[in-house]
Amino acid sequence: MMKRQIKKIYLFLILLFLYLPIFVLIVASFNDSRILGTWKGFTLKWYTQLFENDAIMTALKSTLVLAVMAAFLATVIGTFACLTIHKMKKLPKAFIMSVTNIPMLNAEIVTGLAFMLLFIGIGMSLSFSTVLIAHVTFCIPYVVLSVMPKVQQMDHSMYEAALDLGASKSYAFFKVTLPDILPGVLSGFFLSFTMSLDDFIITHFTRGSGFDTLSTKIYTEVRKGIKPEMYALSTLLFVTVFILLLLINKAPAKKEIITRQEERRQRILRLAAGIICVTLITVSMVYSIKNIFLKPVSGNEIYVYNWGEYIDPEVIRQFEEETGITVHYEEFETNEEMYTIVASGARQYDVICPSDYMIEKMIKNSLLAELDYENIPNIQNIGKQYLERAEGFDPENRYSVPYCWGTVGIMYNKKMVTEPVTSWEILFDETYRKQILMQNSVRDAYCVALSYLGYSINTLEEAELNEATNLLLRQKPLVQAYVIDQVRDKMIRNSAALGVIYSGEAIFMQKENPDLEYVIPKEGSNVWIDGWVIPKNCKNKEGAEAWINFMCRPETALMNFDFITYSTPNEAARTLIEDEEIRNSKIAFPDAEDLKRCEVYHYLGSDGDLLYDKYWTKVGAD
Amino acid sequence: MKNKKYTLFAGPYIVWMTAFIVIPLLFVCYYGFTDGEGNFTFDNIAVITQKEYYGALGLSVLLAVICTLVCLLLAYPLALILRNMKMKKSSFIVFIFILPMWMNFLLRTYAWQAILDINGVLDHILAYLHLPAFNIINTPQAIVLGMVYDFLPFMVLPIYNVLIKIDDNIINAARDLGANYRQTLIKVIIPLSFPGIASGIIMVFVPALTTFVISDILGGGKQLLIGNLVENKVKADNLNLGAGLSLILMIFIVLNMLFTAKYDKGQEGGRVL
Repeated sequence: MMKRQIKKIYLFLILLFLYLPIFVLIVASFNDSRILGTWKGFTLKWYTQLFENDAIMTALKSTLVLAVMAAFLATVIGTFACLTIHKMKKLPKAFIMSVTNIPMLNAEIVTGLAFMLLFIGIGMSLSFSTVLIAHVTFCIPYVVLSVMPKVQQMDHSMYEAALDLGASKSYAFFKVTLPDILPGVLSGFFLSFTMSLDDFIITHFTRGSGFDTLSTKIYTEVRKGIKPEMYALSTLLFVTVFILLLLINKAPAKKEIITRQEERRQRILRLAAGIICVTLITVSMVYSIKNIFLKPVSGNEIYVYNWGEYIDPEVIRQFEEETGITVHYEEFETNEEMYTIVASGARQYDVICPSDYMIEKMIKNSLLAELDYENIPNIQNIGKQYLERAEGFDPENRYSVPYCWGTVGIMYNKKMVTEPVTSWEILFDETYRKQILMQNSVRDAYCVALSYLGYSINTLEEAELNEATNLLLRQKPLVQAYVIDQVRDKMIRNSAALGVIYSGEAIFMQKENPDLEYVIPKEGSNVWIDGWVIPKNCKNKEGAEAWINFMCRPETALMNFDFITYSTPNEAARTLIEDEEIRNSKIAFPDAEDLKRCEVYHYLGSDGDLLYDKYWTKVGAD
Repeated sequence: MKNKKYTLFAGPYIVWMTAFIVIPLLFVCYYGFTDGEGNFTFDNIAVITQKEYYGALGLSVLLAVICTLVCLLLAYPLALILRNMKMKKSSFIVFIFILPMWMNFLLRTYAWQAILDINGVLDHILAYLHLPAFNIINTPQAIVLGMVYDFLPFMVLPIYNVLIKIDDNIINAARDLGANYRQTLIKVIIPLSFPGIASGIIMVFVPALTTFVISDILGGGKQLLIGNLVENKVKADNLNLGAGLSLILMIFIVLNMLFTAKYDKGQEGGRVL
C-alpha cells in the first residue's frame, strides 16, 4: 500500500516538474503585468489584442504552414526511404541509416550552421524555402525511426499475395502495405510536426530575415520584452492540443463489444480526420508554392530592415496609405547578424537602421549609397547636436540620418541601494555581491570597465584592454548574471539591485517599478545613435528616401517615441510631447554637460573586433 | 538483382541525403580548416588547446554527463511505474510527455527563469510557507535543471517503449524460479531494456552538450558552454572559428554513433523516438 502511494507521489512530482512552467505561462496570459512572474491583476486583454496583432498572426500562420509542410514532406520522403532502404544489403543499409540519423544526433547548432554555410555557399537566398529544406531534413530521421520498425515487422508475403491475386503494384501498396505501416507513418508525422513547431535553433540559422516563426518572433521580441499576447497564443495552442488528445484517447473506451453504430461512428471520425489532414496539407502546399515561386510584383515597394520592436506599426500603415508605397518590413536582432545578411547579398533592402559603429563599418566597406537630401527636407527637424555627433562615424552626414539615440548607464533600485550612485565604481563594490547585472555584450561590458579606468571606450591599446579585462575578471564573482535584455525583467522583478542598461529602457522600467532610478556615471559612458541608411544595392532609392523623410516628421517621430520610449533626435517632436515630466526627463534627454564625457562607439576594424573578442572570451570562460 | 532495383528506387532519397546532410557537413569542414581569406589553417581547431576553450568544453561535458545521469535516474523508475500501470493506450503516455513541447521551448525556459529568479515565483511561494528562499539561478545547478527539464521526455520515452515490450511471462518466470524483485530487476528487466537506455542516453547527451539557450537564460551568462562559444563566434561574424568548434563537437557525435552501433544491433525496433 505504502509503495503504491510512493509511486503515485513520484509520478505526481515528475508531472508537476514538467507542467510547472506551463502553468506559469498560462497564468501569465491572464496577468495584467507584462513581466513574467509579477502579478498585477486579472485581465483578458491579451487575448483580444492577440487577434489584432498582425505580426503574431503572420508568424503563427508561417509556423503552422511550415510544420505541416515539413512533416508532410518528411513523412513521404522518410516512408519511401524506409521501404527502399529496408531491402538493401546490410552494409549500404547500415551506412545510409547512420547518415540519415546525423541530423538527429548532431548538435542542432552544428546542423543549423551547416545549413547556413551551404545556403550562403551556393548563393541561395535565405527564405521560406531554405527553412523548409532544413526542417524536412531534420524531421526525416524521426519518420524513419517510427516507420522502420513497422516495415521490418511487416509481412512481405502479403504484398506478394496481393500481386499474385492480380492487384496492381500501386493498388497493393495502398491496400496492403500502407495500412500495415500506417501507425508508424502517423506517429512519424506527428513527431515531425511537433519537432518542427518547437524548433528554434535551426530556424534561427536558416531563416534569413524575411520569415518569422513563433520561435524566432519570440527571440526578436525579447529585446523589448515578450508580448503577453504570446503567452495567450501559446495557452490557446496548448489547450487546443490538450483537448484534442483527450478526445482521441477517450474515444473507444473498451475494445470488447464494438457495435455497428460504434463502428460507423469511428469510420466517420476517421473520415473527418482524413479530410481535415488533406485540407490542411493542401492549404499549406498552396501557401508555400505561392511563397516560394510567386513574389508579389507591385510597382512601388520598399524593403525596410530594422531592429525588432523598433517602430510603431501604425506608422508603417500611415506611410503606406499616404505614399502608396508597399512596405516589406523585416527585423534583425543584432548589428552583426544584419551585416552578415546585407554584406553577403542574401537579401536586398532599400533602407536599414544600424547603429553608429556598424554604419561606420558599412561606409568603410562601401556598402552604402549617399543620401540625396533634396528628398529629405524634414532633416531640419533633427537637432544640430545630434547631426554633429553623428559626424563622428559618418563625416558630413552623407550616409545616415539619426533615428533614435541614448546612453548606457546604471539602473539601480533605490530601496536596495541607499547611497548615492554617481560612478561606475559601485559596480565593483563588494557590498553588492551577486546583486549586479552586467551587459552580456563585448562592447558594452568593456565600455563599463574602460570608462571607469578613464580610458577611451574605443581603445586598441593592449595594455589598457588587459587592465580592463583584469578588472572585469575581478568583478565576475560580484556579478549576479550577464544578460542583455533581461536586465529589464529582472530589475522590475526586484531580482537585482544594480544593472547596466540602455537609457531607452529606463522610462518603461520606471513605469513598471517606481523604485528604479537611472544615472549616467560621472566618468562618462557610451552615447549611441541608430540611423537610417540606404544600401548601395537598393532597388528603390526614392522610396527609401521618402521613408526616411517620413520618419523625420515630428508627428511620426512622436508616435515612435511614445511606442518605443527610446530618445528621439527630433527636436520638433520633443516640443510636441504633452507629458511635461517626460519632455524634460533627464533620462530621455540628458543635459549637454552629462553627454560631454560620453563617446560613440567606433568601428575597430576586423583585427580590433577579434582583439576584443579574444579578451571577452577570457572573461566569459573563466 | 532485386537489391539493385531497390537501390535504384532509393536514388531520390540518397540524392536528398547527400545534398542536405553530407554536403553541408563538408561546408563546415571547409570553413573549419580555412581562415577568413580561404587559406588552409589548423588554427580554428587548435584554439581548443587554449584554457578558455577547453575549459568551456570540459564544463559542457561535465554538465551534460550530470544531466544524462539525473535524467536516467529519474526516468527509469518512472518508466517502470508507467509500464506497471498497464495503460490501455500506451500512446497516451507518449502524449503526456510530448505535450509540453507544444508550448514554445524559449517561453518555457523563460518561465523557469521567472520561477527560479531571486524574488521569483518560487521564492514567493516559499516565503508564503515560511520557508527559506532557494537560490540556484545563475549557477551550473540551474543549467542542469533546465537541461533535465527539457530533455527528460527523450529519456523516458525510449525506455518506456522498450519496457512495455518485455513479455510479462519472462518476469513471472524469473519470479517463479525464485528471484526476488530486486534480482528480477537487475538480472532480467534492466538488461532487457539496454537498447532503450542507450538511445535515451544519446538523445539526452548531445543536446545537453551543445545547448546555448539554457545556459544563457538560466546560467546568467556566467558559465560559458561550448554551445555559447559557437553561437558567439557566429554572431560576431567569425564563421571559420564557429565551424572549427563545430568540428570538435562533431567528434562527440561520431563517438555517439559508434555507441549506438554497439548497443543497437538488430534492435532498431527498440528506438522509438
